[in-house]
Amino acid sequence: MENIFIILLGLSMIYISSTSRLSAHVNMLVAQGWLLFWICLAGFAKEPWFNFAIFANKEAFILNSTHVLGLLFVIFETLVIKAYIIPWFLKKVIKKTHAHRDTDANIPHFYCLVISSFILFAGFLVANIAIPEFKNINPMYFGTSLAIIIISLWLITIKHKVLSNVIGFITMENGIFLLSLAVAKEMPVIVNLGVLLDLFIAVFILGMLIREIDHEFHDLEVSHLSDLKDYEYND
Amino acid sequence: MINLVLLFPLVACLIIYIFKKDFLNTCMLNLYAILHLIVSIFAILGKDFLPAWQSCSFFAINQRNVLFLAIMSVVFLAVAIYNSGYLKGESETSQKLRHYTYMSLFFVLSMTGAILSTNLGVSWVFIEGTTLASAYLIYFHKTKHSIEAAWKYVFICSIGIALAFVGIILLTFATGSLNSLYFEDLYSNAKLFDPFWLKLSFVFILFGIGTKMGLAPVHFWLPDAHAEAPSPISALLSATLLNSAFLMILNVFGIMINANCDTYARIMMLAMGFLSLFITAVFVYHINNYKRMLAYSSIENMGILIIGLALGGVATIASIIHLIGHSLIKASFFLTSGNILKIYSTRKIKSVSGLLCIDNKTAWLWIASLIGIVALPPSILFISEFMIIKEIIIQNKLILAILFFFLLTIVLYGLAKAIIRMSFSTSLDIKESELREVAKKIEWPMFMPQIVMLLFAFILGVYMPEWLTILIKNTVLGF
Repeated sequence: MENIFIILLGLSMIYISSTSRLSAHVNMLVAQGWLLFWICLAGFAKEPWFNFAIFANKEAFILNSTHVLGLLFVIFETLVIKAYIIPWFLKKVIKKTHAHRDTDANIPHFYCLVISSFILFAGFLVANIAIPEFKNINPMYFGTSLAIIIISLWLITIKHKVLSNVIGFITMENGIFLLSLAVAKEMPVIVNLGVLLDLFIAVFILGMLIREIDHEFHDLEVSHLSDLKDYEYND
Repeated sequence: MINLVLLFPLVACLIIYIFKKDFLNTCMLNLYAILHLIVSIFAILGKDFLPAWQSCSFFAINQRNVLFLAIMSVVFLAVAIYNSGYLKGESETSQKLRHYTYMSLFFVLSMTGAILSTNLGVSWVFIEGTTLASAYLIYFHKTKHSIEAAWKYVFICSIGIALAFVGIILLTFATGSLNSLYFEDLYSNAKLFDPFWLKLSFVFILFGIGTKMGLAPVHFWLPDAHAEAPSPISALLSATLLNSAFLMILNVFGIMINANCDTYARIMMLAMGFLSLFITAVFVYHINNYKRMLAYSSIENMGILIIGLALGGVATIASIIHLIGHSLIKASFFLTSGNILKIYSTRKIKSVSGLLCIDNKTAWLWIASLIGIVALPPSILFISEFMIIKEIIIQNKLILAILFFFLLTIVLYGLAKAIIRMSFSTSLDIKESELREVAKKIEWPMFMPQIVMLLFAFILGVYMPEWLTILIKNTVLGF
């Protein structure tokens, strides 16, 4: 079941790499948040404690309270932060800065589509290699998240608007989130919380900086941000 | 005791926020610095003055991190004292100065958290926290250049640190049945780890945290951020932030040693170290901006640290000695550069001339810092670099020894050329008397910290007390 969601997550990266409208990118972030939620839920559904009875039975609820806390945290992380607050904030930034398109990327969109498809394909291939090191790891998660991280990094390097770079950064974080699901181990909640807080504040600070860049340069082109050099430096 | 040092900044921020008085800014920063130093002194003595108030298991003071904490305290106190003089001359609104204080407190808090954490995940969180807290500080002057520097800093470091998190996840693949990220557990179970995933995770963590530490080839944020930040912040960035990133690499390298995968890790670290030296040697010669030049020198010194760690043996001890010396000298160097920036209002090397005529205190501090950083005796860095070269020769890597020596000489020439020219040339500026007037306004808090730190660095080069030797040896016990 979760494989469908994982494949859709991979395909959303292909869509991001082949379109230039920034609002479409943000919509894809919402979709990724939801997909990650369903993937987590599918993981939880396999656990023996997961049924609706625990919500009816008080003792069972108390017994499984740590699991329920984990579930609530995942809902908060994926649905509230990843699918709602961050996209909402980015949409606000887009509205304020009137940056609706990232038109002239270094590589035409068609080639972007082809290259990212190849990366995703390579990810699926990695997922199918049966080497003994993969014994504890779900290969589907591993291959797709690897592809998502690489596509995101690659998109960051070719896009021309600072906003697209931030979107690339968030998709990369989504890829890392998927990677952390590949092994059936939980990080301590405090670490997860810290990671989430850091991601959130990073996006927030980047958003603020984008507004300042827009205010100072009247444009969101990355090329404006290349004035600091070692030679011929004007103070 | 640990709780006190971690919670005080939050309380201080709250007090500043409620009372909104300008004198509280410097007051709280200085108070925190003094408290930090007291806690470090007690930590070195092995005592806890608040034994009833235990911190959670994520933080502890141990043999590994106590020296890092102490160095940080000394540098932070120096910076806080300097800062009280520095902020007097700033013509910023009181709201902006308050924000500056909040962020400085958070910055130091997150570095302290990163140093004290006993869990790999928690130290990751705090290392990322340092990036976020210092972003505003770099952007403080709100110029086009500072926006650019802050953007590059946040973006490059966040991506680097995100890759380090990939490394941590890969490490959890390696740990097999162990479900813990405490360093203690990781060390004791390291032999059972899967070497394939462990090696892969080290690559990611080294590159990720190496970004934060300023190692080439992932150092690009460092010169921009150090050059654009206010000078006290540049000093903190260079002398404490890079150290806390180094501590995390040191801790992860400990896992590699315990798992017997260290040969592979050493080669990678050696390559990154020499690349850092090479990059500095190439760029330092033509640089136009003296704060940028100091930033490149930080890259070089971080390279030396990682080379020392990679070589092992006596070089590991040398690398800790180097860390102490570099923190003290580079902090005083950056603080002095703040004085020069105040006098001349430019960062261009060519626009600064006749420093000795205009302000001889700043000029002599500038020259003394140069002598310290290029490791001329009696600087403590001379001892550490000498020990590293000795270890390279003992290991029969003659080519590396020659390369090390050659690159350091180029860096020495590049730095010395610029600084001697700034200090000893005759002043060509027609506004000489105006500059003198500005120089007279610089008060003692902007000289004293540098003098004390340089004195420490030179005295330690001649005489190293017994307790410090033991501390240094304990820091790298088992390497």
